[in-house]
Amino acid sequence: MTHALRDLLGDRSPDGEVDADVGDSTADVDSEGETGASDGSDDRVVAMVGCPNVGKSVLFNALAGGSAEVSNYPGTTLEAAVGRLDDATLIDTPGVYGVSSFDEEERVTRETVLEADAVLNVVSATSLDRDLFLTLQLLDMGVPTVVAVNMMDEAETGGTTVDVDALERQLGVPVVPTVATEERGVDSLRDRLDEVDAPDETPVATWFDRLPDGLEASRAERVLLVEGDEPTVDRVVGPRDVTADGGARGLTGDAFRDEIYTHRRSRVAGVVEAVTDEREGAGGLKETLDDLLLNPVTGTPFALVLLGLVYLVIGDLVAQRLVDFVETTVFEGYYVPLVRGLVAGALPDAGWAAPVRFLLINGNLGLLTITVQYLLGVLLPLVVAFYLVLGVLEDSGVLPRLAVLSDRGLSMLGLNGRAIIPMIVGVGCVTMAVVTTRTMGSRRERLIATALLGLAVPCSAQLGVVMGLLAGLGLGWWLAYVAILLLVFGVLGVVLDNVLPGESQGLLTELPPLRRPRVGDVVRKTARRTRAFLAEATPLFAGTAIVVSGLDYVGGLAVLESWLRPVTALLGLPAEFGRVLVIGVVRRDFAAAGLTDLGLSAPQTFVGLVVVTLFVPCILSMVMILKERNLASGALIWLGSVVVALSVGAVLAGVFGL
Amino acid sequence: MTERLSDVDAGDEFEIGTVTDDQVRARLLRLGFLDGSVRCRRRLHKGPVVVRRNGTELAIGAAVADDVRVRPLTE
Repeated sequence: MTHALRDLLGDRSPDGEVDADVGDSTADVDSEGETGASDGSDDRVVAMVGCPNVGKSVLFNALAGGSAEVSNYPGTTLEAAVGRLDDATLIDTPGVYGVSSFDEEERVTRETVLEADAVLNVVSATSLDRDLFLTLQLLDMGVPTVVAVNMMDEAETGGTTVDVDALERQLGVPVVPTVATEERGVDSLRDRLDEVDAPDETPVATWFDRLPDGLEASRAERVLLVEGDEPTVDRVVGPRDVTADGGARGLTGDAFRDEIYTHRRSRVAGVVEAVTDEREGAGGLKETLDDLLLNPVTGTPFALVLLGLVYLVIGDLVAQRLVDFVETTVFEGYYVPLVRGLVAGALPDAGWAAPVRFLLINGNLGLLTITVQYLLGVLLPLVVAFYLVLGVLEDSGVLPRLAVLSDRGLSMLGLNGRAIIPMIVGVGCVTMAVVTTRTMGSRRERLIATALLGLAVPCSAQLGVVMGLLAGLGLGWWLAYVAILLLVFGVLGVVLDNVLPGESQGLLTELPPLRRPRVGDVVRKTARRTRAFLAEATPLFAGTAIVVSGLDYVGGLAVLESWLRPVTALLGLPAEFGRVLVIGVVRRDFAAAGLTDLGLSAPQTFVGLVVVTLFVPCILSMVMILKERNLASGALIWLGSVVVALSVGAVLAGVFGL
Repeated sequence: MTERLSDVDAGDEFEIGTVTDDQVRARLLRLGFLDGSVRCRRRLHKGPVVVRRNGTELAIGAAVADDVRVRPLTE
C-alpha cells in the first residue's frame, strides 16, 4: 500500500494516454502519447481532500476535467481521478471526515495525503463545523495546504455567511471561496495553488513528547502515531508481534486519540465561531421530503415505487426492449453473419482450421460472435443504464436513506443498511454488485453479501425473461416466485450470520442533504464507470468463452447434459432441462429463455424458473467472485447454489406432484 | 440520569455521553457529535436512530446506538 500512489501515477506520463486496463498496476502506457514535453520526475502532486458531498468532484472537473484520467487505486474499486493542473498533477481522493484508517476510503486517502506534495482541501461553507476537523488535522500534520470554501451560494441561501478573510487569518493558509457548480472562484484557486502553506507548529505538538525518543517519523506520521493510527504504528514502530518490548506501541494507544480529537474539535468550534454568521435559514421542501423518506410508513412505499421505476427503466426498457433490438437486429441480423462470413473466408479448409473456426464463431459462445454480442449487445446497454440510475440515486442522496430503512432487516442477515447498495446493484447486474461489495466494512460482510448475490438475487437480464414467462402464467405465480426468493434470501442470510465467526459492523453513516442530481455529473460518472467495468469484464469473459468453447468442441457439454438426467427427473422436468442448466452456468437469461421451448406446464415452468434463478451465478459473476473472494468461498457459493437450487426445486416439484 | 441512544424519541435533545466502541467514539467525536446538544430527528422501530447537529445528519444503527449513553436535555 505504501506505493499505492506511485503505482497509480507510475502508469502514466504527464501527457500520455493511459491504457484502459483499469486496476492493473502493470498497465502499459501508450508510448505514442508520450511527448516528453514535461518531465514527470520532479512533477508536483497535489491531492484533493475533503469530506463527502462538499462538491469535490465538481471542483476537480472544473480545475482539471479536460485532462482527467480515471483509474482505480491499486487493489480497490475506489475511483482515482488524476488530471493536469498547470505544472502539477491533481489527484482526487475518496471523501473522508478525517485522516485515519477506519475504512477503505480513509486508508486510500491517508496514503495519498502522505505521499502528495501538497493538498487542496475542499470544505463546504454549509458544514464548516464538520469539515474543519479534517482541515486542522492536515495543518497539524504539516501538510502544505490551500483551502477552498465551496458552496458559498448554498450557505448564503441557508442563512450562513462565511468571512473568508477571517478564516484565512485563523488557519494561516490561503483560503479561496468557490461555487464549483458555476465555476466561480476556480481561477483564483488555481492562482493561489502555489501559495500552499502549513503553520510551523500547532497545538498537537504537545503530544509529541509522549512518543519514544529517537523515533524516526515525519511530522505527519507523528500526528498519526499519537492518534493511534494502526497502519502508521505498524510502519514506524513495526508490526504488532515483532515489538516484544511493547513500549512504543503502548504509548500510541487510542487514549491520546480521544484527547487530541477533543482538543481539535474545540479549536474547530473556536474558528467556526469567529468566521461564520448565522441567521435562521429555511428548512423548506427538502426537510419535508427528508422526513417522508425516513418515515417507514411513507418511505417504504416510496422505496418500492422507486425500485419499480428502476426496474421499468433497466429491466424492461433496456434489458428487454433495447437489448432485444440490439441483439436480434444489429447482432444477429448484421454483425454475426458478417463476422462468420469473414472468418470462414479467411480460414483455409484444412483440418487444423476447424477447431479455430469453432472457437471464433460457434453458436454458443464464439469468441468473435456471441462473446462480442453479449458484451456489447447485452452487457453494455445494461451497465450504462444501471450506472445512470445508480448515479442519480447516489447524487440525490437517496441511497443512504434507503440504507436507514433497510438497516433493521439487513442486520438480521449479518449485514447493515449500507448493504442495500450492492443488493440494488445486483438486481441490475450481479457481476457489478460483486465488485461493489469491496467497500463493505468487514470480510465477513463481504462474504455474506457475495453469497446472497450469487444465490438469491436475479440480475436484470434474467429477471426480464423470468417476468415475461411468469406474466403468461398469472399474478399468483409471480407472487409465489418473489416469496420463494425472499425466503431463500432471508434463510441463507440468517444461517450465514449464525455460522460465520465474528460480528458485523453496525450502521454509522451520514445522511447528506437531498439534492437534485446534475446531468453532467451523472453522465460523466457513468462513462467512467462503464469504461472501468468493461475493461475489467472483457478479458475475463473472453477467457471464459475460450474455455467453454473448448469444452463444447471436445464434447464436454453433451457429457454434462447426460450426467444431469437424474437431476432433471428429480425436479419433474424433461431431460432437455439439463441443457438449460448447463447454459445457465454461462449465462442466466439464456437459461430462463431456454424454458420457453420445452413445452412445460405452468407448475413445471414455475419450478424451472425458480431453479434457474437460484442456480449458480453466470460465469462472469463467478469469475468475479473468485477474483474478489477466494477459491474456497467461490467453490462454496457455487456448490451451495447448486444444492439450494435443486433442493428447493425438488421440494416444489413434490408440492406440485410433478 | 442517562439513557441509551437507542431509547430516545424523535424531537428529544440530549448530549452524548459514554460510547463503548473506540472507533464509533472517534467517528462521533470527529463529526462534532460529542461537542454538545444533539437532536433526534427520527427513530425507526428497532432500527436506526437519525440524529442531527449543526445541520449534519447521522444515521446510527440500533446495535451501535445500544452502546451509546445519552444525557437528556429536554423533558
